Amino acid sequence: MRCGASPNRRQASRAVPILTAMMLATTDLASYMPLTLIAMMAIGFAVVNIVASLIIGPKRPGARKGQSYESGMNPIGTARKRFNVRFYLIAMVFLVFDVEIIFLYPWASTFPNIAPHPNQEGLVWLIRILFFLLTTVVAYLYGYRKGVFRFD
Amino acid sequence: MEAPSWLTAQFLVNAVTIVAVVHIMLISLAYCVYAERKVCSYIQDRIGPNRTGFDFGLPILKPLRGMLGLGQSLADGLKFILKEDYTPNRVDKVLFTLAPGLVIVPALMGFIVIPWGGWVDIPTFSILGMQIQGGIVHVTGANVNIGIVYLLSIASLGVYGVTLGGFASNNKFSFLGGIRATAQMISYEIPLGLMILCVLLTVGTIVPDQIVRHQIEHGWLIFHQPLTALVFFITILAEANRAPFDNAEAEQELVAGYHTEYSAMRMALFLLAEYGHLMTSAAFFALLFLGGYQLLPFMHDPLTSPAAVSVGAVLVKLAVFFGKVFGLIGVAMFVRWTIPRLRFDQIMHGAWQMVIPLSLVLVVSVSVLVYFGATGLLPMLGVNLSIALLFTMLLPLMPRREVNKRLPLYGSRFSPMPGERVSTAPTLALAIEDRPVEGSHATMT
Repeated sequence: MRCGASPNRRQASRAVPILTAMMLATTDLASYMPLTLIAMMAIGFAVVNIVASLIIGPKRPGARKGQSYESGMNPIGTARKRFNVRFYLIAMVFLVFDVEIIFLYPWASTFPNIAPHPNQEGLVWLIRILFFLLTTVVAYLYGYRKGVFRFD
Repeated sequence: MEAPSWLTAQFLVNAVTIVAVVHIMLISLAYCVYAERKVCSYIQDRIGPNRTGFDFGLPILKPLRGMLGLGQSLADGLKFILKEDYTPNRVDKVLFTLAPGLVIVPALMGFIVIPWGGWVDIPTFSILGMQIQGGIVHVTGANVNIGIVYLLSIASLGVYGVTLGGFASNNKFSFLGGIRATAQMISYEIPLGLMILCVLLTVGTIVPDQIVRHQIEHGWLIFHQPLTALVFFITILAEANRAPFDNAEAEQELVAGYHTEYSAMRMALFLLAEYGHLMTSAAFFALLFLGGYQLLPFMHDPLTSPAAVSVGAVLVKLAVFFGKVFGLIGVAMFVRWTIPRLRFDQIMHGAWQMVIPLSLVLVVSVSVLVYFGATGLLPMLGVNLSIALLFTMLLPLMPRREVNKRLPLYGSRFSPMPGERVSTAPTLALAIEDRPVEGSHATMT
């Protein structure tokens, strides 16, 4: 174990300056190249599986078999009908919160670097973001009073 | 011959990592189903799958019979391909075929920004006559600088497939399951995003590798923010539609939810995607809270430190990372088979009236702590625990909900009130109309 650890320590002294250099180099567009590879692999996996299963499996259609399965009863009407409006309201409120969170991400990744206590700029940014959160809390309370979150 | 500009050592390491991790993932997804059945069986005092070995019924391969049922995953996979892939008559055929693909593709794409093995030292070498410059490169699927945002966006793409699967089936159970899954997934995505925000505020970067290195220097964040980690774990269970949040496929209410009408491989893709999401989320959890590839917290062992760049160290880090991921999946399985399913209104109530206010309070507390520079272990732990204590004390004081109370059986259809006449006779046997048939009540009673 001890003799195994020594080459690592030797490499560590060499590695550290290169680490910072490589970190700066991650902003170029070529680093997105592997995304196309994984996208091709994932889409290929899905397509091959679906198509293979459609081709290999037997085909025995039937009128009864083609019905929708609703626990053995004959299906009543179609499923394309109106549904509870609460789901729509939840989606609307979700948009408010999700957009807010997206706006908070750039702030969150830079705030600790400008934050330390005596810094005036850090205080300004903290108060701005707290006000931004407060607007969302107002939206939340409005929805709460309107009964959006009551699922009874 | 000059190598093209994108063909660097970094790209080759990325490609190798992607291929390796995809295969580890797919094989372990198949065995997750087996492990789930085994865990379930032992919890319920059964044995579970124990017959299917690798003998394929051949007398020559008799020593491979049995083997704790390890051949079950292979048999399941073969069966999924060989069975009839049935498309019912009334479904939207294009969307019905598209939906499993839309579910499985994000489940397989999310993991690539996870820093699986830290860094590796590649010597300068040449393939096909092209000189490739060596150096110290990331062992990760894609070394992009938007890491966490990519992971979050890909994870939220999974909701489209579930919604489409429920909608295209043209089945009321599927439709309800799909719409329930959508509401639940988007509701729990908000606390998920806010919990990641807490970590980003502490770390100050969105590059996954730097999050790991911050934790190696300052200790794992699960010790700094245990409440954040707990809420994050709850939300990833809800995002992956796992029990106790599996209302989308509640068997007693909705048959199988959004994949009721599916069969063969298209249904298997839904099942694989559920475990794929769980595995990506577990890797996410290990990255944010469990120190990534570091073996033990607060200890700078030379083998799993970022400075260890040999191939052997990378393999050890990969094993440590996957060990954490499988441990978290094991925890999720235990949770699934020990905690009963929540009702749908309880899930939504929990999201909007409990978890989201709690997450907002956590984000504000962390940002104030960061402003005062108190990001050490003790202040963060103290504030987290006092928020947990505060919410625990406040919960009994909240107004009780007046809905969904348990009704006494007295006076129901099967035990009528005194003097009340009720009928338990069946209604019209063949119900084909979507409205009450006139006069049916009178004729049947």
